[in-house]
Amino acid sequence: MSTDVVMPQLGNEITEAQIDYWSKRPGDKVEKGEMLLTITTPKLTMEIEAPASGTLKEIRVPADEIASVGEVLAVIDEA
Amino acid sequence: MPKSIPVEPQTFQRAGELAFPRIPLHAYAQPFGAELAARGRTQMVDILRHMMLVREFETMLGSFKAKGAYADISDVYKGPAHLSLGQEGAAVGAALALEPADHIFGSHRSHGEFIAKGLSAIAQLPEAALQRIMESHRGGTLLRMVEAQLPATAVTSTAENFLLLGLLAEIFMKADGFNGGMGGSMHAFFTPFGAYPNNAIVGASAGIATGAALRKKLANEASITVSMSGDGSTGCGPVFEAMNFAAMAQYDTLWTDARKGGLPVLFFFSNNFYAMGGQTIGETMGWDRLSRIGAAVNAEALHAETVDGTNPLAVADAVTRKRAVLLDGKGPALLDVECYRSGGHSTTDANAYRTREELALWEAQDPIAKFAAQLIAAGVMDQLAVDTMKAGVADSIAAVTRAAVAAAPVDVPTDPTLIGRLMFSHEEIAVPAGEVRLLAPPETAARIRQDAKKSRSGLGPDGQKLSPMRAITYRDGLFEAILHHMLHDERLIAYGEECREWGGAFGVYRGLSDILPYERLFNSPISEAAIVATAVGHAMEGGRSLIELMYGDFIGRAGDEIFNQMAKWQAMSAGILKLPVVLRCSVGSKYGAQHSQDWTALVAHMPGLKVLYPATPHDAKGLMASALASEDPVVFFESQRLYDTVETFQPDGVPQDYYRIPMGEPDVKREGRHATVLTIGPSLYPALAAAQELEEANGLSLEVIDARSLVPFNYDPVVRSIAKTGHLLVVTEASERGSFAMTLAANLTRFAFGQLKSAPRVLGSPNWIVPGAEMETTYFPQAHDIIEIVTSQFYPDTQSNRRGIRNWDDRELARNGL
Repeated sequence: MSTDVVMPQLGNEITEAQIDYWSKRPGDKVEKGEMLLTITTPKLTMEIEAPASGTLKEIRVPADEIASVGEVLAVIDEA
Repeated sequence: MPKSIPVEPQTFQRAGELAFPRIPLHAYAQPFGAELAARGRTQMVDILRHMMLVREFETMLGSFKAKGAYADISDVYKGPAHLSLGQEGAAVGAALALEPADHIFGSHRSHGEFIAKGLSAIAQLPEAALQRIMESHRGGTLLRMVEAQLPATAVTSTAENFLLLGLLAEIFMKADGFNGGMGGSMHAFFTPFGAYPNNAIVGASAGIATGAALRKKLANEASITVSMSGDGSTGCGPVFEAMNFAAMAQYDTLWTDARKGGLPVLFFFSNNFYAMGGQTIGETMGWDRLSRIGAAVNAEALHAETVDGTNPLAVADAVTRKRAVLLDGKGPALLDVECYRSGGHSTTDANAYRTREELALWEAQDPIAKFAAQLIAAGVMDQLAVDTMKAGVADSIAAVTRAAVAAAPVDVPTDPTLIGRLMFSHEEIAVPAGEVRLLAPPETAARIRQDAKKSRSGLGPDGQKLSPMRAITYRDGLFEAILHHMLHDERLIAYGEECREWGGAFGVYRGLSDILPYERLFNSPISEAAIVATAVGHAMEGGRSLIELMYGDFIGRAGDEIFNQMAKWQAMSAGILKLPVVLRCSVGSKYGAQHSQDWTALVAHMPGLKVLYPATPHDAKGLMASALASEDPVVFFESQRLYDTVETFQPDGVPQDYYRIPMGEPDVKREGRHATVLTIGPSLYPALAAAQELEEANGLSLEVIDARSLVPFNYDPVVRSIAKTGHLLVVTEASERGSFAMTLAANLTRFAFGQLKSAPRVLGSPNWIVPGAEMETTYFPQAHDIIEIVTSQFYPDTQSNRRGIRNWDDRELARNGL
């Protein structure tokens, strides 16, 4: 079973944000609640935690790219 | 930047009790003989003479106020005379312990402190330095007057006459007074002797001295500042704000290297027991003994002590010890110096609030009589010598008084714009090019990397508007100008609430905390008064500050500091002091009546402040660069609704390189020929939308001009536009009544009366509270409100298209002032 890491809703006026950096690479083990990546909007920088424990299967939006709210940023394999 | 100070429940959720340091009362116990041996006879005799000079100076002023004469000199002195009779021991004792490089910031009752500090500096400075100081002050005119009218052989005697005459001429508002006659009794200053400005506002020096201490600390100077105020000032909020600001824990916990440690500021309270007529002990305060308030500020209780202000040696001992504490990085410190005021608050004081018995008891504690008796008892002087000294002092003061009375007044009749020229220097510093210490290279900040990838223009290849993630915004424009100055000018510091990790409440500074150390960018307490006052003091000592109040609506919390301090010191010092302070005020929306007000008119009304309000990213960057380069104080308004705005006017977008836009130049944002619409701040955008619609629907073209600056303001481009269009509408989001738009409209009516085909109109917000977010479009001027005025009033033959809710009779309201 796998879980998507999704760009969260960051307030009702923000539609997209930029990936600042990933603290894990594909293949790394991740724990639920662990800091996975940092994103920035024009106004703030925030950390996003892993929504599940498992292995980071793939990163779909690399650092410095912009993603929209709701977009899948990565996938975690809950083996 | 990771958070470094944890806040964890286990630290706090433990039973216990707080202990407070013991606060000594009148602990001084040095035998007089020991002081005499340590200080020597000359200094001990000078202490008496200095106290006598202060006493006689104040007596002379009191005599002028009471009788219009002193000795055989008659004159009418109309100004204030808040005398310090009886408090000479405090003033002279403090000065004895200070070096010339230590700076005092006085109060309305500070003639004595000023004279004592000057005399102390004269006694310590080499003769060559004294001569140089006197020669270089205002072209040597005061020195020439001293040499001609008060001849003396010793340089120190000349310097003492220079000090007394410069002060008295200033009190009499004469042209050669220390402030060129622009300050007077309550604002005198002479920085080369370490006498920084006195202040007519009770307690105002506390914040200014704190900011000056901040600059001394940042410049690694081995000297201190002293905030001098009375016991009554402990009832003033800004004094507590200043003490807390001076005692912030971050100086120890977060600041780095040589900048570590508390601020070197001494809060010196001359406690004369009465605030005018209100009795501080037992009536208007709860502290019982003033020094107790130190315990409210920090764990060291500000090293507070109560000392006997009737004994100059006790005061000098305490100031010497506190000064050592401050230089050791353990500041700030507080002294409660009890010194009864034997004279009145002012010369109209009938002493109704105290008894003859009380006055008589304190007469026995007179600092001069007590000290003279000690010198006689120790065999240093005899009564004849004391009497001779007193007579000599009276002669000196009489001679100085004659010279001051005879001195030329400020000649405004022959130079009517003299004061006007002193309001601003209009000077700018060169583009900063220095190197500063950074925590990390700029490119390591995600914000800077992110901005580097953005489009400089807000329009994409197909002319579509880009999102704020993909193009440089108003927020980024501000950031780029600020970044340039911060990276190249170590003197510039930035602070305010949530300025660091948060990047300011609206993210303008976001990323700066990755690269700048705490001492250049820091979070301040929620102390608007202290934020502004410290910036004023920081500027007086040679620093430059970028401060912010988060919301413009918080200006009220710093009213005195903005309107009386930041705005006034350049002119009150006859242009000697420069005030490079940029105060950022964000104009809000969505949060209702106390968070959404445009108060530009309030600030523009105050003489002495430059006022900017850009509306585009290009203008925000260029005007912020000019503000940061300015030697004059600037209030910089920003709109929260515009922070995400991208650049759509400049074909190439916001230039990457540093540039400045001159202050005071309005900018034509859209050309037209049927009506001139002059906008302030974000009103630009509804005006442009109205122009677009009128062009399409009615074939009317509006010329839209963005004011950009309020003070100064060049009317010429607007007058030229009116000559073309014949109609003027000024649009602002401020409430109409008393708004700056009204000033613009009134002046333009005068300048372009002959060109106008209809009465100019001002469209602002109603003179009501700002409603919540859901109702804002019914309150702030909208495009359809602009269209309505243009079509119904300027071009009534076109069909009016009323769509807004403004169906009230605004003319009737205006005619009733509502």
